[in-house]
Amino acid sequence: MGDQETPENTDVIQGTLDLLILKSLSLEPMHGFGVARRIEQISRGVFKINPGSLMIAFQRMERAGMLDAEWRQTENARRAKYYKLTRTGKKQLEVETADWRRRAAAVARLLNAEA
Amino acid sequence: MKLETSMGARFVSWWRHSIRGADALLHEAQTDRNDADELQHFYEETVNELVRQGMPRTQAERQARASIGNPTSTRETVRAARWENAVHSVVTDISYALRMLRRSPVFSVVVVLVIALGIGAVTSILSAANALLFTPISGAVNADRLVGIDRVQPGTNGGAQASQPYYVFLRERNRTLSAMAAWGKADFSIGRTTGNGESVAVYGNIVSANFFSVLGVTPYLGRFFLPEEDATPNTHPVVVVAYDFWRTTLGADSTLIGNEVLVNGTAFTLVGVAPPKFRGVFTPIISSAWVPLMMVSRIRPTSDVASPHASWLWMFGRMRDGVNREAVRADLVALTKQRIAERVEADWMWRLSDVRLVSLTGLPDDAQKVIRAFMSVLLGVSLLVLLIACVNVAAMLSARALARMPEMAIRVALGAARGRVIRQLLTENLVLFAIGAGAGIAIAMVATWAFERLPLPNAVPISLELSPDWRVMMIALVVSLFTGLLFGVVPARQAASADIQSRMRGDSRSGGRIIGGVSRGLVSNVLVVAQLALSLVLLVSAGLLLRALVRGAQTDPGFQARGVTVTTLRPEAWGYDAQRANAFYQLLEERVRAIPGVTAVSYAERLPLQFSSSGDNIQLDDAPIGKDGKRQGTVVTYSLVGEQYFDVLRLPLMSGRTFVRGDDSGSARVAVVNEQFVKRYWPQGNAVGRSFTFHDRRVTVVGVARNAKYASLTEPNDPHLYFPLAQEMRNERSLMVRSGNSANSAGFGEARPVSRETELSQQRAMQAAIRDAIKAIDAALPRADVTSLEKSTSFALLPQRIAAMVTGAMGAVGLLLATVGLYGIISYSVSRRSREIGIRMALGARAQDVQRLVLASGMKLAGLGVLIGLILAMGASQLLVAYLYGVSPLDAPTFVATAALFIAVAWLASWLPARRAAGLDPVVVLRQG
Repeated sequence: MGDQETPENTDVIQGTLDLLILKSLSLEPMHGFGVARRIEQISRGVFKINPGSLMIAFQRMERAGMLDAEWRQTENARRAKYYKLTRTGKKQLEVETADWRRRAAAVARLLNAEA
Repeated sequence: MKLETSMGARFVSWWRHSIRGADALLHEAQTDRNDADELQHFYEETVNELVRQGMPRTQAERQARASIGNPTSTRETVRAARWENAVHSVVTDISYALRMLRRSPVFSVVVVLVIALGIGAVTSILSAANALLFTPISGAVNADRLVGIDRVQPGTNGGAQASQPYYVFLRERNRTLSAMAAWGKADFSIGRTTGNGESVAVYGNIVSANFFSVLGVTPYLGRFFLPEEDATPNTHPVVVVAYDFWRTTLGADSTLIGNEVLVNGTAFTLVGVAPPKFRGVFTPIISSAWVPLMMVSRIRPTSDVASPHASWLWMFGRMRDGVNREAVRADLVALTKQRIAERVEADWMWRLSDVRLVSLTGLPDDAQKVIRAFMSVLLGVSLLVLLIACVNVAAMLSARALARMPEMAIRVALGAARGRVIRQLLTENLVLFAIGAGAGIAIAMVATWAFERLPLPNAVPISLELSPDWRVMMIALVVSLFTGLLFGVVPARQAASADIQSRMRGDSRSGGRIIGGVSRGLVSNVLVVAQLALSLVLLVSAGLLLRALVRGAQTDPGFQARGVTVTTLRPEAWGYDAQRANAFYQLLEERVRAIPGVTAVSYAERLPLQFSSSGDNIQLDDAPIGKDGKRQGTVVTYSLVGEQYFDVLRLPLMSGRTFVRGDDSGSARVAVVNEQFVKRYWPQGNAVGRSFTFHDRRVTVVGVARNAKYASLTEPNDPHLYFPLAQEMRNERSLMVRSGNSANSAGFGEARPVSRETELSQQRAMQAAIRDAIKAIDAALPRADVTSLEKSTSFALLPQRIAAMVTGAMGAVGLLLATVGLYGIISYSVSRRSREIGIRMALGARAQDVQRLVLASGMKLAGLGVLIGLILAMGASQLLVAYLYGVSPLDAPTFVATAALFIAVAWLASWLPARRAAGLDPVVVLRQG
């Protein structure tokens, strides 16, 4: 309904949302909207994340100790929840990045071989 | 690969999950607000972004809302992802369930009552059975390694107790038991050596020195027996008493340990007190004192501990580690055969060449069989009630689930998951069943408390530990919760099933066919019919048992119990030897005869109708000669009676004479036979003067007595013999005294000219006079239990009384449940059909027509239920034959009356809603529809 501008909009590949969140937060602490916008922008609109899935993922990762969260005052006097990576989160990012690269390379090889 | 999968990290992560989850659960409002804020922030940022890109604010807001979706349901999704949400929703479900149940209090109370009654009944019966059959020996260690040892005849259940030499033989030579003990029963009278010298009559055991150590029981005070205290006859008068006895009779006086008490007239040293609750191996009977085997002749003067012919000991042993029962049995059988080959025992014991190992809990096996049969009847009955209860609850739940379909449909339409709706309904059912189970356990506790106090026959102190034990409770609880689930799933699924639209409309069309047959109401109809049928089975059984009770009460026992006062005397327990006992009996008879109003006095070996009898082989002259060169024997029951026995009981003599003073050990053996004896063995008549062989002696028949009931009212008419007590000495005797002006004849329960009060006071006076006569002879004797023969024989009908009580109560409960169920179904269908009824009335149907229509639908179900119930009852009543006293299991009056009762009740249950249906106002109904 609201995605007329991104016809190629794709669901996030199963299991990669954590990786995308970790990567987005690796530069600086951000709030939820910031993470969503960054993923959308950098993927050039391929991945569009709805706030529900995002919040569930935050919740899970926070409890798993990958993220820390704190409430800050925003410029227009609202509360916003800012997330940042923990040490565990950083380690997890390395592991998942390596893992993803390995898998992606394998998939690419398979696809090339078939062509 | 992943570092985080190491145990430590996983634990930390799990820990954090738990802590945060619990935190979120505790600060629920805060967590919810945070979620809302985060979402709101997301929304605002999206709007700002769009505005920055140049979109008008209103349009930006619209698009942001669209892309984010419904904030409430998003928050709901986020919340559902948290584990603590499961806990939360269970709590919510339960509190919601409680609210729903409060909203329909009648339904809830009825369901809870139904479940409670069913579970209560089953738990009570199981607890009673448990107490009687499986009560473990209190304080025993590793009880599963203990076995009872019975010496029996191969291929039969018939056996005998062991002699002390046989016990020692097995104990010394077996290789499979680590220890083996033996015990015998005895009546004790115990008193302090100081004070007024009065003693207290208790039941006790004569035991091997290792009795307590084999069981593994440790003393509460003092010690148990030492091996040397059971090595030589009559040298170590030591006694151990039960905790309760020590507390009450001995005043919990610990200084008595090491001091003397009087046991059956002999001074014994009190060496120890058994732990609380220990009451011997035979758990249903309280044993209050224990003395070593070697002291037996101080307790039972006629017993000789060393006799290989005596048969008085029960044995048990502890199996060695790694040895099974089969090995123990083989070992003991081999030894028993060896023992028989030694030919030191009495002839009749040689047949007993087999050994049976029995469980060492509860009653001995013979009694267990009887009680097990009786209990299984009662258990069957209560299971039936539980079944009815479950069926009833299922019917009610299913009716309610139907009624709540619109509500459920709305919930599903509003987005509730079907699973969630089913879970909600199941929770309601489980809550109902849980409350019901709790109430059921309360009922069971009250019932067993009452049952424990039921007066039982015999002077033996029977103790039933009837507290419903936790295992039975757990079973009841599990069964009830399981039933709750089982009977909840189907209606819940029904209610939450698809087809939302028709459900929301209330679907009065399909509901209207509920009585008609094939519809959603079919299940409820089947359930109600089943309930009616099952309760009919119960009430027919109760009716038959009641008829049996009435007939039993009218059964002519062949003698007149009214006007006879009795007491049982145990001179052995008073430390009397045979001579002293005889002198006592003679003196007592003279004194009692002198009491005003006494018309006849006699002794007897035992009182009639106490469920016990003696039986032995006699050899008739025309019997064929057996392999051993002797005439083959015929087992006949017999009574040992005094001279005036027949006068006391008003038992008519048909020919010949009764016993006279001269019929004693010095004279020729004589007997009186009953009519049945003559009919069976000497059908040509002329019994008087004929003779037979008994215990290798010739016995001449001097008289023929009328047939009577001897051990129980239900026994068939069998041949019976009477021998004079003076020719077959018995130490324990019952004194029977006829007195007063009760001139009328015939059996129990007949109207008499003398008022009941006068008679009772006369009885009490006679009882007191006899008690005084005993006291006057020996003040040290325990207070005699003098009672009326009527009272002592009234227990003859105890099984029927209990069975009729239980089945009657259960049947009534069942009928009540079925009635409630029928009423519920009919009135429910009326409410479903109110629209249809309104249309009919609008089209001209009269109130009577409507009433007839509804009544007919109810009576159709009732008729079917009664029909099926009658057929089932015909089968079930066959199982009761043993308790029916010859009342036919197909007794027409009972069947007809019960069926009529059911039809009447069912009519009432349908008439009430029918009247309501007839009173419906078509205008109101149609406008509502």
